[in-house]
Amino acid sequence: MSATNCLRCLGRPAVAGASRGVIVPVFAPRTAPFSTTAVQNAMPGKPQKSMEHQDRSVRVYRAGKKMKIKKKGNLDRGKPPAPGERKAFRKKIVLSNDNALPVPWVTEMVAGSLSDRKQVGTIVSLPPVLQDQLRATEAFQPTQTWGLFRKPSTLIRQESVDLIGKMEKAVENKETARIVLTGEKISGKSTMLLQAQSHAYLNNWIVIHFPDAQELINGSTEYAPIPNTENPTLYMQQNYCLKLLQSIKKANEKIFAKLLSVSSHSELPQNITVNQPLLSLINAAKEAEGAWPVFQALWSELNAQGANRPPILLSMDNLPHIMKISEYRSASFDKIHAHDLALVKLFTDALGGNARFPSGGAVIAATNRNNGPRIPSMELALKQRLAVQNGDSEGMPVKDPYFKGYDERVEKVLKTVEVMEVNRIGKKEARGLMEYWAASGLLRTTVDEQAVSEKWTLGGGGVLGEMERAALLTMKI
Amino acid sequence: MASIPTTRRGLAAAMRGAARPRSLEQQFQAMRLSAKCSRCLSTESFQAAPEIDSEKIQGMIQARHARPVPVSPSYFSRTSRFNDSYLALDKLLRIYGNLPIIPPNAVERVSWKTLDDFRHAVGEQVRATDYVKCLAIVKRLHQIHPKLKPAPVIQALNDFKRSVQAFKNETVKQQLDKYGRSLGNGRRKSSSARAWLVEGNGEVLVNGKTLADYFGRVHDRETAVWALHATGRMDKYNVWARVEGGGTTGQAEALTLAISRALMVHEPALKPALRRAGCVTRDPRRVERKKHGRVKARKRPAWVKR
Repeated sequence: MSATNCLRCLGRPAVAGASRGVIVPVFAPRTAPFSTTAVQNAMPGKPQKSMEHQDRSVRVYRAGKKMKIKKKGNLDRGKPPAPGERKAFRKKIVLSNDNALPVPWVTEMVAGSLSDRKQVGTIVSLPPVLQDQLRATEAFQPTQTWGLFRKPSTLIRQESVDLIGKMEKAVENKETARIVLTGEKISGKSTMLLQAQSHAYLNNWIVIHFPDAQELINGSTEYAPIPNTENPTLYMQQNYCLKLLQSIKKANEKIFAKLLSVSSHSELPQNITVNQPLLSLINAAKEAEGAWPVFQALWSELNAQGANRPPILLSMDNLPHIMKISEYRSASFDKIHAHDLALVKLFTDALGGNARFPSGGAVIAATNRNNGPRIPSMELALKQRLAVQNGDSEGMPVKDPYFKGYDERVEKVLKTVEVMEVNRIGKKEARGLMEYWAASGLLRTTVDEQAVSEKWTLGGGGVLGEMERAALLTMKI
Repeated sequence: MASIPTTRRGLAAAMRGAARPRSLEQQFQAMRLSAKCSRCLSTESFQAAPEIDSEKIQGMIQARHARPVPVSPSYFSRTSRFNDSYLALDKLLRIYGNLPIIPPNAVERVSWKTLDDFRHAVGEQVRATDYVKCLAIVKRLHQIHPKLKPAPVIQALNDFKRSVQAFKNETVKQQLDKYGRSLGNGRRKSSSARAWLVEGNGEVLVNGKTLADYFGRVHDRETAVWALHATGRMDKYNVWARVEGGGTTGQAEALTLAISRALMVHEPALKPALRRAGCVTRDPRRVERKKHGRVKARKRPAWVKR
C-alpha cells in the first residue's frame, strides 16, 4: 500500500480540502498519519457504535481537535466616548419628563408669586423664558429631580417667602440684603437660590450668579496677576470671566439691551462710548484675553450712581470653597488666598458690605454640606450671627483659644451678614408637595395624613431632599 | 415467712419490685434491717452470735467494734435515697389520697425536676421509668386542694421542685413614667437599642440625630420605624433612641424591636398587629463562628490535587 501522505510533510493531511484548523472527520481513514485509531474506527466489520459513541471518538485529541476558548478581547465595543462627553452626560440637565402626568392645579410663576405668603405650600412651575435664563446661569443642578416631572416646578416654602421678602425690602430701601443660606444636606439651599434668582429675573433685576464656587479656586481655570496690584496682588481668571460674561449676557439680554453706558471705556478691545447699550459692552469680550477688563467695566457701569440701574442680585453657590486658601500659587510659589482672586474678592466685598448697589439688591450665598470643606471660621461666624439674630447673647459661641485654624479675612467678610437657615418643611408644605408628586403619577399611594407623616419622618423630619429620596428615588416593588 | 426473701437474689428482686404482691413500703418494712432481726439475712449454715442486749451492756465496757446499722432500710439498694423518697411519697398518698383535689388546669404550675436534675440532686442513677412513676405520685399529691394540703406533703413535694421556678416569674409590666414616656429595648446581631416613646407628631431622634442623618439608607430608616408604620402610628409618637454596637442594618433592626416594645407599653392591644408585622420576636441569628480547617464558617479551602 502506498503512503497516503507526502513524506516531506508528514504533519499535513493528504486531502487537499482538509486544511489546518478545520476539524477533520475522524471516519475518513487519512487524518493523522501516525494514528491508526481513526482508521480502525472506520474499519468495516466492527460492531457499529451508536451515534453517541462516535461523537466521543471525535473528542480524541490525536484526531487533531483543540479546545478553543473564545477571546473576549476581540468584542466590538463601539466607539469610546469623546473627550468631555462623559462629563457632559454627567452634567446634563433634564427639565421635563413627558411620561409624567401634567398637574392641573400648578400655575406658572409670576413676578409676585414667591413673595405671596398665601401661596406657601403650593407648587408653581417655571415659565419657559425663565427656564432659559436659569439654564444660562446654571442654576439647575444635575442632582436635583427636575427630570422626574412634566414641567420644572418648585415648592413655595415659608423660607422662600421670607427670603424674597428680605430682598424686596432691601430694594425698597435701596439697600443690599446680604444673606448666607445654611442648612442640612439636601435641604433645598440651592433651590432657594434658584427661587431668589427666579424672583429677580421675573422682577427685572440683573442677576450675576456663580454656580459653583469650587470652579474658582480649585485650579481648573487659568489665572494671571492683575498688573499694578500689590499688597496683595490680585489675580484675574480670564477664561472663567468670559464664561461668566456670556452667561450673564444670555440671562439678562433684554435688560442689557435697554441699559445704556454712562461713561466711555476706551481701554477695552472694542471702544465703548457713552450711551451705548450695555449689551455691546458685554459683546466686546470676544476672547478670554479682554474678559476681565470688560467685566470690570460692566461692574462699574452697573454700579454707576444716578443712572437708574435695576436692582442687582449677586449670588453664589457652594460658598465654603472660597473661604480658604486656593489651589493657585503666586510667582514666588506661595499659596494664594481665595480672597485674592479678583472675582472672589468682588463677591466677598459685596457680601461683606463694601459694595453699594445703586438701586439696592441682594447678595446671597449658599453653603454646601456635601463636598464642602470645613471652614471653622465660617462655621463659627455663622453660628455667632445666628445667635445675634435670635437675641441669644448668652449662647453666643466663642473661639477656641487653642485652635490655630481661624481665618481673619473670612471672619471680616461674614461679620455682618444675615444668616438664614433652610431646614425642614412643615407637614402642610409636605402635603402640598406630596399631592403634586401623586398627581404627577410618581407617588402611587393615597396622600393622607398617614402617608405624609410617614414620608416626613423618613425624610428626617421634613428634609426635602430626603423626602424625595424616600418617596421617589427608592425602588418600591 | 414466705414473703421475706432470705437470699440476696430474692432481696434484689424485691428491691426492684419485680414481684410485688404488696406495696413497696410493705416489702421494705418486711425486710427491715433492725438490730433485732438482723439475723434474717443469715444463711442456714451460718449461725451468728446471739443478739446483744444493749440494756445489759449499759455501763459495761463499750464494745470496740460496734456494728453500724444503716438508718435507711434501702441503704443497700442501688438508689437508696430515691427509694426512700419514693416510699415516703407512696405513704403520703395512702394517707392523704382521699383529700379533695382540684382540676389539673386549676393547679398551680410547677416546674418539676427533670430526670437529670433529680439524678444530680440525689447523686444516684435513678431509672427513668421509676422516676416517671414517682413523678406521677408527686403530681397527684400536688393536685390536692391547696387549702387542705398538709405540711408533710408540701415538704415532700419541695424535693421534687426545681430550684428556679420559671412559672413564678412575673413579667415586669412596663409602665409610662411621669413624663408619659415608655422605654423599650431591642437587640439584633450585636446591636442594642433603647427607645423612648412619647406621644407626639412623628419626630425621631437616634443618638441625637434625625433619622435621615443617622441612617443613610432609606431602607434602614423604614426598618427602624417599621413598628410605627405597620400599626399606623407614625404621626402619633415621637421617638428618642440610643443605639450602639453592630452595623447600620443591625442597629436599624434593633430599633424596630425597641420601638415596638415601647409601643406595646402605650398600647398593649397592638401586640397581635405587631407580631404580624414581625416586630415582636427577637431575631436570634448571629454571625456563625469560624471553624478550624475552614476558611470561614462554611467555606472550605480550595481543593488541591496533591
